[in-house]
Amino acid sequence: MSDTLTASPRPFAQRRALILGGLAVAALALVLLGPLFLDRFSLNVLTRSMIYAILAITLDLLWGFTGILTFGQAAFFGIGAYATAMLLTHVGSSPALIGGALVLAILVPMILGIAVGWLSFYYGSTPIYATVISLVFPIVVTQLVYSGGTLTGSSSGLVGYMGLPFGLEGFFRLSGLCLVLVAIGALVFVRSDAGRVLTAIRDNETRCAYLGLNTQRIKIVLTTVLAGVAGLAGFLYANASGVVAPENTGFVFGTELVVWTALGGRGTILGPILGTIGIDYLSANLSGELPFLWQLIIGALFVVMIIFLPNGLAALVARFTRRGRNEVVTGGGPTLTVSAATHHTQQGGGPLLSISKLEKSYGSHKVLEDITLDVAPGELVSLVGPNGAGKTTMMRCLTDGKERSGGTVRIAGQDIAGMTPDRIVALGVGRKFQVASVFESLTVADCLRMARSALDTPSCIATAHDLGLPQAAVEILQLTGLDRLLATEVSLLSHGQKQSLELAMVVSLEPRLILLDEPTAGLTKAERTTIGGILRKLTAEMGFAAILVEHDLDFVRDISSRIVVLHQGRLVLDGSVDEVVNSEIVKTIYSGGENA
Amino acid sequence: MKKTFLFTTLAGALFASTALAADGEPIRIGVPVGLSGANSVVAPSVVQSAELAVEEINAAGGVLGRPLELVIADDASGAAGAQKAFDALVYQKEVDVLISMETSAARNAGLPIVARGKVPYIYTSFYEGRSCSPFLYVNAWVPEQQVPPIVDYLKAEGAKNYFLIGSDYAFGRGMLEFARSYVESTGGTVVGEEYLPMDGSDWTAIISKLKASGADALITSTAGGAPNVTLSKQLRGAGVALPYANLAVDEGTAQSMGADAEGILISASYVTGIDSPENTAFLEAMKAKFGDELRTPNDLSVPEYEAVYLYKAAVEKAGTTDTQPVLDALAQVSFVGPRGTIQMNAQHHAPLTMYLGQVQADGSVSVVESFANVDPGAQCPDL
Amino acid sequence: MLTLLLDIITTAAILFIVSAGLLAIFGVLKIVNFAHGAWLTVGAYCAVVTAGLGLNPWLALPLAFVAGAVLGALTERLIVRPLYARPLDAILATWGLSIVIGQLITLWFGRDVQFTVSLLSGTVDIFGTAYSLYRLFALAAALVIGIGVTFVLEGTRLGLSARAIIMNEALARALGLDTARIRLVTFMIGTGLTALAGVLLTPLTSVDPNMGLAWLIGAFMLVMVAGSSFGALAVACLLFGGAQVIVSTFISPILGGITIAVLSALVLRISSKGFSRV
Repeated sequence: MSDTLTASPRPFAQRRALILGGLAVAALALVLLGPLFLDRFSLNVLTRSMIYAILAITLDLLWGFTGILTFGQAAFFGIGAYATAMLLTHVGSSPALIGGALVLAILVPMILGIAVGWLSFYYGSTPIYATVISLVFPIVVTQLVYSGGTLTGSSSGLVGYMGLPFGLEGFFRLSGLCLVLVAIGALVFVRSDAGRVLTAIRDNETRCAYLGLNTQRIKIVLTTVLAGVAGLAGFLYANASGVVAPENTGFVFGTELVVWTALGGRGTILGPILGTIGIDYLSANLSGELPFLWQLIIGALFVVMIIFLPNGLAALVARFTRRGRNEVVTGGGPTLTVSAATHHTQQGGGPLLSISKLEKSYGSHKVLEDITLDVAPGELVSLVGPNGAGKTTMMRCLTDGKERSGGTVRIAGQDIAGMTPDRIVALGVGRKFQVASVFESLTVADCLRMARSALDTPSCIATAHDLGLPQAAVEILQLTGLDRLLATEVSLLSHGQKQSLELAMVVSLEPRLILLDEPTAGLTKAERTTIGGILRKLTAEMGFAAILVEHDLDFVRDISSRIVVLHQGRLVLDGSVDEVVNSEIVKTIYSGGENA
Repeated sequence: MKKTFLFTTLAGALFASTALAADGEPIRIGVPVGLSGANSVVAPSVVQSAELAVEEINAAGGVLGRPLELVIADDASGAAGAQKAFDALVYQKEVDVLISMETSAARNAGLPIVARGKVPYIYTSFYEGRSCSPFLYVNAWVPEQQVPPIVDYLKAEGAKNYFLIGSDYAFGRGMLEFARSYVESTGGTVVGEEYLPMDGSDWTAIISKLKASGADALITSTAGGAPNVTLSKQLRGAGVALPYANLAVDEGTAQSMGADAEGILISASYVTGIDSPENTAFLEAMKAKFGDELRTPNDLSVPEYEAVYLYKAAVEKAGTTDTQPVLDALAQVSFVGPRGTIQMNAQHHAPLTMYLGQVQADGSVSVVESFANVDPGAQCPDL
Repeated sequence: MLTLLLDIITTAAILFIVSAGLLAIFGVLKIVNFAHGAWLTVGAYCAVVTAGLGLNPWLALPLAFVAGAVLGALTERLIVRPLYARPLDAILATWGLSIVIGQLITLWFGRDVQFTVSLLSGTVDIFGTAYSLYRLFALAAALVIGIGVTFVLEGTRLGLSARAIIMNEALARALGLDTARIRLVTFMIGTGLTALAGVLLTPLTSVDPNMGLAWLIGAFMLVMVAGSSFGALAVACLLFGGAQVIVSTFISPILGGITIAVLSALVLRISSKGFSRV
């Protein structure tokens, strides 16, 4: 990390576009000219490999980029292929019907994609559950195909229907063209601002939700769209191969896709493409002569790869070629601009936050009991109390409508009962966690952009050159020097820098109420003073309300407008700084507690 | 075209052989077969049959003065694997003919490639029938040939109420569909018909239904290999002792079931116990060539042996290996093999002598009755 | 009716036997051993080897347990240990391992269905209904395994440590428990039990290199629903195994084949903790 790079954004983006363009032209030339020098066998095999590669891209977007391990893409592929073959077999074949088959092959998987997405992703669902569903889905589909009789051709599959009237070369070019288009689309998307959201979800889904992003809906939409792409691949397959069979839909095929993607390199687009084409082509050449040994080699390679090189061969290549990934970059990144406040500016009457008889219990054990509290705009309320008093639990109850066991919490007059964090964020609440919750593999600028993406819908194709943030957020960045590190990857920042970055992200949400859980923990004296100044400015001058959980009583005394004391889950004191600091109760509670 | 035979041997597969008796450019015979997957149990016996035929023919001077050469490819018993195998054989190895025993899924997946590559294809596996293509010939049985002997026998033994059990796939359903219609046409009643998914391994509910159904005979058509064994074990475990006809078991699989297979009725175009000079010579030659490695020849492997000879006859009749003349000749030639005289007809299927057998305690099959020249019926009237 | 009841109970028992090893590993280690099917296969081939050596077929049970545990120890050391922090990758790595094991078995024994000696054959009369003796034996075996596991969990130091890890791993380590060793032993017990289950399956299924795969998904789903509790697993086996038998009997065996998977997925969708609170 000794050498720091200086980069300017424009030429870099342009160079990237140039490389991408060059790559695309080269790839197009390859697939268009391929038939001139490839023999029939290679043409045939590569046509299929390229279709599988399209599928691998969809899997990679889900797994490599978003962190959803799925075996279900095979089923969407199979459904697309069967939709095509069944229509052409049972209804007949004409240009119009082939067009209809294309539409069906994309639409049917998408509809099922919505269903699978709905089943897999809901508030509180676990990654492993989504994987479970992705296992069950292809098994059910395969079983349906087997029991479909003449409709699906059962185990024999469907064969002999008339699809697109292309020859071997035609299908090679068509599949290649589709692959290049899908690959370019994917490459552009993952490098766009919207594409970064996927990585953000993989890195830290909780943070995404607390930035106001409905991550479950994003994942459902992603599943649906990629189901459609998988269906398109199925359509191509059904036409190019002239046969569809149950194994095209199955869970074993799903695992094969995962193997190819893993070996090629998840989290890159080119890795899975090359992995799929390479392995499928090799296996077509070798498996005839050594079926079992080939499987053995692939299996062993897969195990070794997952353990030692989880990001596949692409990671190995990238290690030698990519610069600037693991280095602090000074300067560069987008241009910071101050955007006018766009949201939450209208002030209703009454308190901003109104808590009434809040209660939280685990079984018979009550962690919070009978908490009643109002917070008005401009107030900076500190929440103090010994460990286990229920402070963090209370913060959770204010930002997740499903947490509390009793009482009501109203934000700007609205009851948050049953609301998920992203909806509460939309009401104007920002939460900073105790341990800095940021996106480790994104750059500082991308993290900040993520905080804005619920407000400024990010582009699916481009990276914006400007980064518009509220005045307060820009000031935090300038005070902490983060404004010069916009292009640096977050994992390289210091602890204090991450804390400041998270605060800037929370402020970028333009919240009316900020909840901060020990924002100064582990910071130096200077950093504390900076953060304290920022908080005072936010509340006293800019009219935010803030609730601060803090152990450092000196810090609390300096900046608070009001202090609330929690003890054993109850609110024992609520008053001005002087009242609380001088009260006997606090001295008793803290005697020997906090300074020890 | 260099081949690394070492690995094939390592993999326990049997390798292609090139004999030296005849010279000239070899005639390549592609054998896509399920070395892995569901057919992997029977595939080695099929390869052995083909190897013996090729060795014998080459020793006798080859075909049109050219030696035969086998090119084996694994189709993984399914469609995707078959596409790879057919691609490799037709386009990479550029074989002159395909002769193979495969699953229906593999055959169907291969047919478009065969049609595009314009290669004759002799299919040597019994199957559910009615697969038609100008390039496809079949020298094994279809339901019309196999089911009637078995049902007639059960009927003669006094069976009236039949229970049918199958694996849920094209062959399983196809066979039982025919069995049901034939049972009903002979005045019997089907009291139950149940299917389990191909990879299913729990027959509990079906067996309980069978026991409660009052059936006096059982006909099954499960996927070869594992499902056959699983079902038989569970049937015996549950104490089912009905007359039991299995439409899908071969002698080899029956042997691996041990005592559980005893008494099972099978109907086949080949059993090792056929008493003919051709069969005796065939069995002896197999034993001499493979010794301890010999896989019991069976109803799926013997047609492979005969098909190689049928191809030889067709090429010799046509005087060329060109596709169309060979295809025309295939309907006209015949060969006397272990199963008797085999001649495929204009509809590309073959009338066969069928044997009704019963599995003995040692796994061998004793012939109960035989039916000469059973016609396959109208399989492909449009050809 | 009695047959139906017996079918349900014995089916549940067999499912319990098959899933117990997977649960032991998942419950304590939070790792899904996707090579579970391969271990069943390994166990069944132990029965083949036992028969081949001319030993008493019952000797296959201890042999399989030991073989499974030893292989399990190797697996835990070499493959699973680096992946505790990456549970999804652990699924994949163990799946890869199952491919390797399957192919090794194929290279060694060939692809054929192997002949095994039946442990118990014949039927017994229960209130006038002839019922498979072996299935009843399976019921007893499930009870023995269940009681044995409960004894280990409740009555031994290892069990206590394992439960501590289930509840709070960080705390357990802070208390000075050697979590690495407990994980190793748990994994060995899990794979040993699974190999044992493989032997117990031999009278019911064909023995071939792919035999384990058919049981993997069902066991996996049951374990997901059961979480980390053997009691919950027993309940899940009874309910879903029962549902499978009922659906197979009264609707269609084909639907029966996917009953466990679909029901488990739905139960998990409704309550992500499944039956683990039972």
